[in-house]
Amino acid sequence: MSDVFPRWTNRLPGQIIFGILLIGGAVTAGLTYYFTPKYTRVGYQPTQPVPFSHSIHVNQLGMDCRYCHDGVEESWYSNVPAAETCMNCHSAVRASDPRLEPVRASYKDENKPVEWVQIHKLPDYAFFNHSVHVNRGVSCVECHGRVDQMDEVRHEKHFSMTFCLDCHRDPEKRLRPLDKITDLAYDRSLDPENKDRNFVKEWHIKTSENCSACHR
Amino acid sequence: MNDSTTPSNRNMTGPRHWRSLEHKADSPEFRAFVEKEFPSGVDLIDDPVSRRNFMKIMSASFALAGLGVSGCRRPEHKILPFSKMPENYVHGTPQFFATAMPTRGTAVPLVVKSYDGRPIKVEGNAEHPDSNGGTDQCAQASVLSLYDPDRGLNFKRAEYSVRGNVEVTEFTEDGKKTLKVEPKSGVLKLLDGLANGKTHVLMEQSSSPSRARLVDGLKANGVNFYEYEPVDFSVHAEAAGIAFGPGIEPYYKLDEAKAILSLDCDFLGTEESAFQHIRGFAEGRRVKDDTKENPADLMNRLYSVEGLLTLTGTNADHRLRIPTGSVIRVAALALAEALDRIGLDGAEDGIRQLKAFAGDLSKDFSNSHATEGQAKANTSKWVRQCVADLVRFAKRGDKTLVMAGYRQPKEVHLAAMAMNALLGNVGSTLLLRSAKPSGNGSIADLIDQFKDGDNLVVLGGDPAYNAPADLDWAKLVDRAGKVIRHGYYIDQTAQGADAYIPAAHYLESWGDARTSDGTLVPVQPLIAPLFGGMTELEVLARLGGTESDPYKIVRKTFEGIAGEGDTQWEKFLHDGFLANSASGVESREYDWDAAQAAWLDGAEPVKPPGKGDYEVTFYRDHSMDDGRWCNNGWLLETPNPVTRITWDNVLLVSLKTAIEQLGQAEAKRLLDFEKVDGSDYDKKLGGLPGRFGFHSESGRFFQKKYKLTIGDKSVEGAIWLLPGMADNTVGVALGYGRGVGRVGGAAGFDAYQARTTGTQHVATGAKLKATGETYEIACTQEQGIMDGRPVVRECNADDYAGHEDFVKHFDLDSVHHTTHLVKGDDRGYPWEKDIQDEMPASPYMRKGDDKGSFGVDTMSGPKLMDVQLQQWGMVIDLTTCVGCNACVVACQSENNIPIVGKHQVAIGREMSWINIHRYFSGDEHNPQVTYQGVACQHCEDAPCESVCPVNATVHDEEGLNLMAYNRCVGTRYCSNNCPYKVRRFNYYDYNRRPMGVEDGERAPGRFFNDDNDLNNSPLHPGNKSSNGEWELIRWYKDPSRGSVPGLDDGKKDGGEFDPEWDLIKLSKNPDVSVRMRGVMEKCTYCVQRIQRAKIEQKAKVRDTVEALDNPDDKIAALDVPDGTIIPACQQACPADGVSFGDVSDPNSEVYWLKRQNRNYSVLGYLDTRPRTTFLAKLRNPNAAMPDHFDIPNTVTEYNEKNHADVFGTKEAKADGKEAKQ
Repeated sequence: MSDVFPRWTNRLPGQIIFGILLIGGAVTAGLTYYFTPKYTRVGYQPTQPVPFSHSIHVNQLGMDCRYCHDGVEESWYSNVPAAETCMNCHSAVRASDPRLEPVRASYKDENKPVEWVQIHKLPDYAFFNHSVHVNRGVSCVECHGRVDQMDEVRHEKHFSMTFCLDCHRDPEKRLRPLDKITDLAYDRSLDPENKDRNFVKEWHIKTSENCSACHR
Repeated sequence: MNDSTTPSNRNMTGPRHWRSLEHKADSPEFRAFVEKEFPSGVDLIDDPVSRRNFMKIMSASFALAGLGVSGCRRPEHKILPFSKMPENYVHGTPQFFATAMPTRGTAVPLVVKSYDGRPIKVEGNAEHPDSNGGTDQCAQASVLSLYDPDRGLNFKRAEYSVRGNVEVTEFTEDGKKTLKVEPKSGVLKLLDGLANGKTHVLMEQSSSPSRARLVDGLKANGVNFYEYEPVDFSVHAEAAGIAFGPGIEPYYKLDEAKAILSLDCDFLGTEESAFQHIRGFAEGRRVKDDTKENPADLMNRLYSVEGLLTLTGTNADHRLRIPTGSVIRVAALALAEALDRIGLDGAEDGIRQLKAFAGDLSKDFSNSHATEGQAKANTSKWVRQCVADLVRFAKRGDKTLVMAGYRQPKEVHLAAMAMNALLGNVGSTLLLRSAKPSGNGSIADLIDQFKDGDNLVVLGGDPAYNAPADLDWAKLVDRAGKVIRHGYYIDQTAQGADAYIPAAHYLESWGDARTSDGTLVPVQPLIAPLFGGMTELEVLARLGGTESDPYKIVRKTFEGIAGEGDTQWEKFLHDGFLANSASGVESREYDWDAAQAAWLDGAEPVKPPGKGDYEVTFYRDHSMDDGRWCNNGWLLETPNPVTRITWDNVLLVSLKTAIEQLGQAEAKRLLDFEKVDGSDYDKKLGGLPGRFGFHSESGRFFQKKYKLTIGDKSVEGAIWLLPGMADNTVGVALGYGRGVGRVGGAAGFDAYQARTTGTQHVATGAKLKATGETYEIACTQEQGIMDGRPVVRECNADDYAGHEDFVKHFDLDSVHHTTHLVKGDDRGYPWEKDIQDEMPASPYMRKGDDKGSFGVDTMSGPKLMDVQLQQWGMVIDLTTCVGCNACVVACQSENNIPIVGKHQVAIGREMSWINIHRYFSGDEHNPQVTYQGVACQHCEDAPCESVCPVNATVHDEEGLNLMAYNRCVGTRYCSNNCPYKVRRFNYYDYNRRPMGVEDGERAPGRFFNDDNDLNNSPLHPGNKSSNGEWELIRWYKDPSRGSVPGLDDGKKDGGEFDPEWDLIKLSKNPDVSVRMRGVMEKCTYCVQRIQRAKIEQKAKVRDTVEALDNPDDKIAALDVPDGTIIPACQQACPADGVSFGDVSDPNSEVYWLKRQNRNYSVLGYLDTRPRTTFLAKLRNPNAAMPDHFDIPNTVTEYNEKNHADVFGTKEAKADGKEAKQ
C-alpha cells in the first residue's frame, strides 16, 4: 500500500482535523464577533433630518423625557412627538432657524411628516412594552443609555435576548424610585435614602422569564 | 366506578356514536384512516422544488446572503410622526368605537377595535339593551371584507364617446357595455335630473330611519322604490299583520320559554338575528349550579320540525323530519291539537278542517323520527305528545313558544301565532312590537311598473345574480334608459350598468339602523372610505339633490328622533345605541276570523315528495348568506356547522333517498361502494358498507356530480349524503357561484338559476340525474377524530338527580384528572370529600397551601406553577353551545389565522385554532347530534412539550402552554404527540400567498383550488407572482419594501392598481405575530389579551402597591380582576358558553364552574390535566314522546363498546325483574 500512499499521508488525518478546528474556530469567532447585536447594533448613529440635541433640551432646558415621549406610560410604544409638540416652543424660539425647516413644513402640511430615522428596533416577533417598565421602576437609561448627553442619538445597548434576560433574571439593581425614572443621571448607590431598599419586595416585582413575556 | 375492560370492537349493538357514515360502518378503510392519525396527504411534499434544485438555489442564496451582509446594509426604517396629535390618541394603544352592522331588517350592535386608525376586530356591544356582547360569524368576518382587494375600487362608467354635445354609450361587438374608470364627478353627474317618476330604485331591505326619510323625500318627487331580498324574512311580520292587525312585527323572547316548538324555523342558525335567539335559548337552557339545582326543573325543551338538518334541529331534544313543503300539515295538526286541548268555543269545525288538512302524517312519513330498534315512527303521536307537553306547561303557568321559519308560507306562521295565542305566550315570549312597513314595492312590482326607457338605480344586492330566474333581469336592463349601479363588487349587476358607484363598507361611513327590538343604533365609521366609496344614503341624497354628507344626514335623522343637542348625540355615539328607543310592545288579540279566512284562502294541500319526484329546499347559507359574503375567505373556510363542508355548496340528500329512491344501482355509484353486498359489514346498516365517496387512502372526498332539474331550470352540483335530512328532499344552499372575486369566485354553484318566483323556498317535482363527473369536496368531517372515547359526555335532565356524578363514570377517569389546582376544604367533588387525602399529587404547587404532600419540593414532576401568579383556565358548557361558529371566526380574526384554500383543507391542513366537532349518534336516519368546540387544552402535563427538540413549546408559570414561533423549526413532533390534535402547521407561507394566480396567470376565483403559488418562497424562482425574482434579490434591491411578492407590479389585468398586499396587511392584529412557513401554531388563550390586562393592572396599581404591608395583599392587588380578560372566543359567544379566568381564585367564575358536577376533562385518563374542561351536555327529552331515549345515544354507544353502565340502567332492569319474580 505504501506505493499508493506515501509516508507523509500518515500525518494527513491529524492535519485535516487540526485544519478543520482552526477554520471552524475562526468562523465561529468571526460570527460571534461580527454577527451578534453587539457588533451590528451598538453604535448605530444615523443622521437625522433635524439635528435635534437631547443634550441641550434635557441639560440646558431641563425638560423631562415625557414632555415629548408622552405616550410612554400608557402604551407599549414610546412615541416620537408630533411636529405640533416641537412648535409649542419653536414657534417663538428659533422660529426661523433653517435647521427646523422640516418641522415647520410638517406643522403646516400634515402630508409632510418629519422623516426621523429609527434607531432602536426590535424584531417583529418580540413584543416589548414601555409602559410596564417605566411604571414599575425601570428607567429609560437602562436600555437607551445616557440619551441626555447625546447630541445625535446612538444605539447604546445591544438589545439581544440576553440583554433582556439579564435584567429579568435579576431586576433589583435596575430598579429605582418611580420619581427618578426619567432622571438619567440618577445613581441609586449614591442615594442614601433608597440604596438599601428592596423594590422587588416592596412592589412585588415578578419578572417573567417565559417565552410569553415577549413572544406572542 | 367503571366496570369497563378494554374497549373492544366486538358485540356492538344498538345505537352508536359516529361522526359520519364511514365511521358508523366502521369499515376497514375507515379503521385504517383513523389509525393513521393524520390524513396521509397532510405531510406530503408537493413542492415542485426538487432536492437537486434546492441545493442549486441554496448555494446561490448563500452567495447572495454573503453579499448582503458584507455590504452591511441596514434596512433604514423611518418614523413618521403626526403633524398634529389627534386628541385622546396614544400611539400603540387600541381604540374602541361603538357602531353596528346593518343586516336586512335589523342590525348587530358592535364595538370595533381600531389600531392606528385601522379597524381590526369586531366585537359585540355588551351594553346594548338587547345584547350580551355576542355576535354571529358574519359580523366577526365583516372586517375582512373591508380589506377585500376585489371590492369595487373605482368609480366607473360605461365606455362612451362624445358626439357633438351628446355622450353616446359605446357597445362592444356583442352588444355589451364595458366599464371604464372615470372620476367621481363624471359618474355622479349621471344622477342629475333623475329625481322624477321615470326613475325606479331597487334596494335591499334596511332598518335605517335615515334611509326611510330620504326615500320619503324622493317619493314626493315621484321616484319609485322597490325592495328585494333573495332571502326574505318579512313573512314573520306579514303573518303577524294578518293575525294581530297591521303595524306590528313579532319579536321572540326565548329565554322565558320553557318549551319551544320550531316549525322549520332555524332560529339558532339562519333566521334573522340568530345570535340574539341563541342568547335567549342558552339562557333558558343553562343550568347555573348543578350542585344545587335539578336540571329537570330548569331547562327549556326544544321540539323541531324540519326538512333540512339545521343547527336548530341538531340542538333539539326531539326532532321530526318532514319535507319542508309538508311542514304545513304538521302545523295544521299541531294547531288542531292545541285547539282541542285548550278548548276554544266554536272551534270544532276548524279542528275538523285542520285535521283533514293534516291527513295521515304517520302513513306519509313513516320514518320521521328516531325510534328504538326497527320500530316504525308514529308521526301523529309525536305531534300530539309535543302539543300536549306545550299545553301542560301552559296550564302550569309556564310560557312556551311556537315559531315558524321564513321558508314556510304565512299560513304556517298564522298557525304558530294561533298556538301562541292559545298557550298564552303573546306578550311574554312573543312580543308584538310596533313597526312601520317600508311601503316599497317588490321586485315583481318593478318589472310590472317599469316602462321602456325608464331609468334604473340599483343600490346594493345583486339582482342580476339572485333575482328569481323567471323574472328575466337581463331583459329589464335592456329596456332601461340609464342603469346606475351602486354595489360593493363589480358583480353581474354592475356588468350591464352605465355607471358604477363603489359602495362604502359599514365601517367606512355614517349610517343608522334599528336592532331587532327597535333600538336605534349608529353606524359609525372607523376609517375614511378606503377607495372613496359612497353609502346608499349618499347616493339617495345625491339623487334628490339634498345634503349629501352622510354625517349630516344621520345627525339630522337622529335629531328628529331624539331632539337636538350635542350631549345626546355624543352619548348616542359613545354608547352605540339610543337608550329607551326600543319599539313599543303592543297588546293585541289574535283575530281568529281573519286568520281563518287567510288560511282557507292560502293553504294548499301538499303531496309528500316521492321517488323521482323530489322536493328541493333552498336555504340561506350559514356562511355566504344570500351571496353577500361571497369573497370572504374566513367565512368560506369556516366549515358549515352541520355538514362540516368548506368552500362549496352541495346537493344534500338523506340516506334513504340516496339508497332507495335512486335505485340500488344508482346508489352503488353514488355511494361509491366496493362491496355492495357488504357481507363484511354490519347488517344493521341495511347492507350499507359505508363508503360514501370516501377515499380513506387520502382522506379526501370525490363526490359524484348530479344535475338537479326543476321544471325547465337546472343546476349541477356534487351530491352529499347528510343523515337526518327528510327523505326525498334535496337541500341546496344559496349564495355560492356568484363569480365575484379571486377568493370565492369559483366556490360552489349558483342555485339561483333554478329558483323562480313561485319556488323561492321549496320546489317540487325535481329530478336528479348523474352527470358522470366527480367533484372534490373539502370536508373537515373526518379529520382530527378521537375515536371510541367518551369525548362528549351527555345526560338526560330527568336522569340527573341520582346520577350527579355521571361524568366520572366514563373512561378511566379518577378524581385528579379534573380537580387539580384545588385548594381549601372544597377541594374535589362534594361526594369525594372524604377521600381527598388519597388524591394523587398535582405536578403543580398550589397557591398558599403548604400542607401534606402538595407543594413540597420532593414531589416528582415539573414544578412550574407559581403560587403567586394567576392560573388561567377555561370551561366550555356543552349544554349551551349550539355550534354556531362565531368563536371560530372571532379566533381567526383576533389571531391572524390565515386561510389556506380548498385544496389545503381537503388534504387536512386547515388552520383554524378552534375546531367544532360534530358527532352523530344513534339512528342513521334520525341521528342525535352533539357539538364540541376543541382548541388547545393547555394541558398541565402537556405531551407536546416533552417532545419538542428546540423548546419552542413550553409551559409558563401561569399554566399556559406557549408557542414561541420564532423558535419553532417545524419538526411537527408536538402535533404528532398531541392527543387532541389541535396543533396547526404552516405548510406554506399562507399569509403571503398571492390571490388569484394560477400557473403565474391571474385567474379570478381559481385561487384556492390551486396549489402552485403556495410555493412562493425565496427558493421558488420564476414565479410570476413575484415577478420572476427571488425574494432575496428583491429584498437586496430595496429592503424597505420587504420581500412582499407581487408588490413590484401592483397591477391587475387591464392596468388597474391592485392593492392586494397593502390591504391584506391592514387586516392583521398587530399584537399577534404573523406566522411564516414551517411554524406550528395553536390556541394561546389569547395570550396577547392576558399580557395587556396584566400590564394595565400593573400600571394601575403602580403607586398603591408599595404602601401595602402584607405580601399577600400586594399579590392580590396585582392580580387581574376576574372578567377583565376575555378571549376572543368567549367574547364572541352569543350563548355565554365559554368562561375564562383564574382557576386558583375561589371568587372567579371558572373556579366555580370547575367545581360543577358536570365538569370533565377530555381524555382525562391520559393525565394530561387540561386547563380547558367541559361541562357535560344535558338533554331535556320528554318521556312521553315516541322518539324518547332513556339515555343519550352517545352514552348507549359508550356503554356497549366499553361494557360500561354509566347510568346503572342494567342494574335497574335487573332489579325490576327480581321485583316481578
